[in-house]
Amino acid sequence: MIQIEGLSFRYPGAKHDVIRELSLRIRQGSLFGLLGPNGSGKTTLISILTGLLPLLSGKISIDGKTLPGQLQDIQAGSALVPQEYAFYPRLSIMENLLFFGGVLAIPAYELRGRLTAALAVAGLESFESVRAEHLSGGLKRRLNLAIGLLNRPQLLFLDEPTVGIDPQSRHFILEAVKRINARGTTVVYTTHYMEEAEMLCDEIGVLDDGRLLACGTQEQLLNNTHSRELMVTLTTAPTVQQSGILNTIPGLEIINRELRMAHCTEADLKHLMKLLAAERLDICRLKYGYRNLEELFLQMTGRQLRN
Amino acid sequence: MPLFALVTKEWKLLLRDWHALLLLFAMPAVFILVMSLALQNKFAEQQGVNIHYYLVNKDGSPASEALVKRLSAIKDFKILSSDASASELIDQVRDDRAQFMVRIPPGFGKAMQNTEPLPVQMLAGPGVEPAMYMLFEAALRAALVRVYLQYALAPLKTQVSDITSAGHTGLNLDATDKLLHAQSLYQVDGRSRRPSSVQQNVPAWLVFAMFFIAIPLSTTWVQERQQGTYARLRSMGLSAKDLLLGKLLPYLGINLLQVGLMLVVGILVVPWFGGQRLTLGHAPLALTLMALALSFASVAYALLIANLVSTGEQATIFTGVANLLMAAVGGIMVPRFLMPPVMQTLSQFSPMAWGLEGFLDVFLRQGGLEAVAPQALRLFGFGLACLALAGLRLAKQRGKA
Ligand SMILES: Nc1ncnc2c1ncn2[C@@H]1O[C@H](COP(=O)(O)OP(=O)(O)O)[C@@H](O)[C@H]1O
Ligand SMILES: [Mg+2]
Repeated sequence: MIQIEGLSFRYPGAKHDVIRELSLRIRQGSLFGLLGPNGSGKTTLISILTGLLPLLSGKISIDGKTLPGQLQDIQAGSALVPQEYAFYPRLSIMENLLFFGGVLAIPAYELRGRLTAALAVAGLESFESVRAEHLSGGLKRRLNLAIGLLNRPQLLFLDEPTVGIDPQSRHFILEAVKRINARGTTVVYTTHYMEEAEMLCDEIGVLDDGRLLACGTQEQLLNNTHSRELMVTLTTAPTVQQSGILNTIPGLEIINRELRMAHCTEADLKHLMKLLAAERLDICRLKYGYRNLEELFLQMTGRQLRN
Repeated sequence: MPLFALVTKEWKLLLRDWHALLLLFAMPAVFILVMSLALQNKFAEQQGVNIHYYLVNKDGSPASEALVKRLSAIKDFKILSSDASASELIDQVRDDRAQFMVRIPPGFGKAMQNTEPLPVQMLAGPGVEPAMYMLFEAALRAALVRVYLQYALAPLKTQVSDITSAGHTGLNLDATDKLLHAQSLYQVDGRSRRPSSVQQNVPAWLVFAMFFIAIPLSTTWVQERQQGTYARLRSMGLSAKDLLLGKLLPYLGINLLQVGLMLVVGILVVPWFGGQRLTLGHAPLALTLMALALSFASVAYALLIANLVSTGEQATIFTGVANLLMAAVGGIMVPRFLMPPVMQTLSQFSPMAWGLEGFLDVFLRQGGLEAVAPQALRLFGFGLACLALAGLRLAKQRGKA
């Protein structure tokens, strides 16, 4: 389990924190999606968790081991797949795997098995001897992933592992990540594609500007009763008198035939329905809650997820 | 185990990067070859026949004939024959098509007996270096003095022998040639020889080329940082020590290969192109020690640069400028003994100067281990300092950003 408390981070020489008072729990075995737009601090957060950036303020423990004291133990049990193609373009797939296997000091009797397993999960068996620079974007992403599997991590950090690839390769990688997670590896998956987070992850943390806006399962996020949005279109615009009556509900905005409420509880909704029925105002269209994370994000930040 | 992987990886990458191979091996080899051949005459070797001059004799006297004969006998300067007019010849010299023109005026021989002799005219082209000017002038003067002795003073011979004591053979003009015995302290097989330009140039350009290892080394490191491989390696728990050693060892090997290659060029390729062969001196141990010390210094320096810069362009520009400065100050481009005192003092602080002095000890001065030890020690010290700074910088980066 990953436990983060009150984490803040600022790059040397920068004026603002890029991680702000962030607290988060990721349970063991979870496939956790860290969803946020570019520049929201996903890579920074992962870098701190993997010991690439120092822990400046706040507390982090991973499986009971704390940073920075037990960094080596933590590193031994985890793997990072950086968002860049973190391998050598002039080496072949096999040479890359052998090199990183060597750096990890995997004993010779285990090496072959690990290589085969990594190649199989990433579906790279038939490309072993191809130089990495000649691979397509999708295969490069798969090699990037395969290297991260060499040390059989308990905890796998995947930083935007599907950026810039074709739909088939993306599908392949998402399926591979599901399988890796199904075998018991905790996965922390950062992305700015909300469809991926929705499709793949059992829990999602929404990150914006270094702050965790919301965290939980998809249902929890979308069904958050305190922040559901209501939009109603009436067949006719209410009269001034009717508007006065409707305005008794705090937070309701009326623009011609449109009624809007940014934060609408179920009680508010029921009350509104009663008023509409009493005033004989007919509803032509109604939308309550969020269809997806994109809308949730838009609602919470006023910005699109994809900038 | 990680170290082994790092070293083999570096070798593989380099073997597949022909840009780097070109920079590391082809460039220095061509450099040595071209510099050795181009500078051959500057160091006045036997075949120094590239100084050409017009000799115009307007005087028919025995004295002028004797002067022409003397001048023709000098091998280092070659007389061009021409039927062109004097003004045309002067134009040729002005265009540096010939380096000098010497004109013996009519009545030269006759005027020699007078108190006021008629001077021979010497004109030098604008491209003639001061040193060459002085050499030619000295040679011409020597010939003139000899002719003057013969034709202006010889008639006085009888009177002189009257004055001198009995038994004296009198004025022996040929004795003037025997008044000087010139010899270089450079020796080959125990015999004095004039050092060839290869001998004097290979060490300088060897040292110069070796320090350029900083470019490929730091660009690969920068690439690793930018491509995320560095982050991945760190997340795998690779220590700073392994990272540094993983670069130091393979590049040390490359540096030593460079030395070997350039010596081979000096020994085999330069003579093949008509230059003189490089001789290695008699101290293989001293040579090895110098090569090791210089390799260590240049690779450690490269590691420091790699940890100071953040882009490949920075690495290239920084290395280029720093190396040129070190070379200029260190006597690679201009021999140290030609520099003004301030520069000579300054040059004691250039690692290239240490490398050069050490190699010259072996190549020119027949020095052994003792002779090169101080230079080697300095280079090792410099290397250790660079390595320590690189390590500190790396540790700081890891702790901070
Ligand atoms: N090395 C750095 N130095 C200074 N600022 C940085 C550095 N790396 C990232 N940042 C800044 O930190 C913020 C978060 O970046 P990052 O964690 O990479 O976001 P994400 O991965 O979500 O796109 C951005 O505003 C970015 O400009
Ligand atoms: Mg990122």
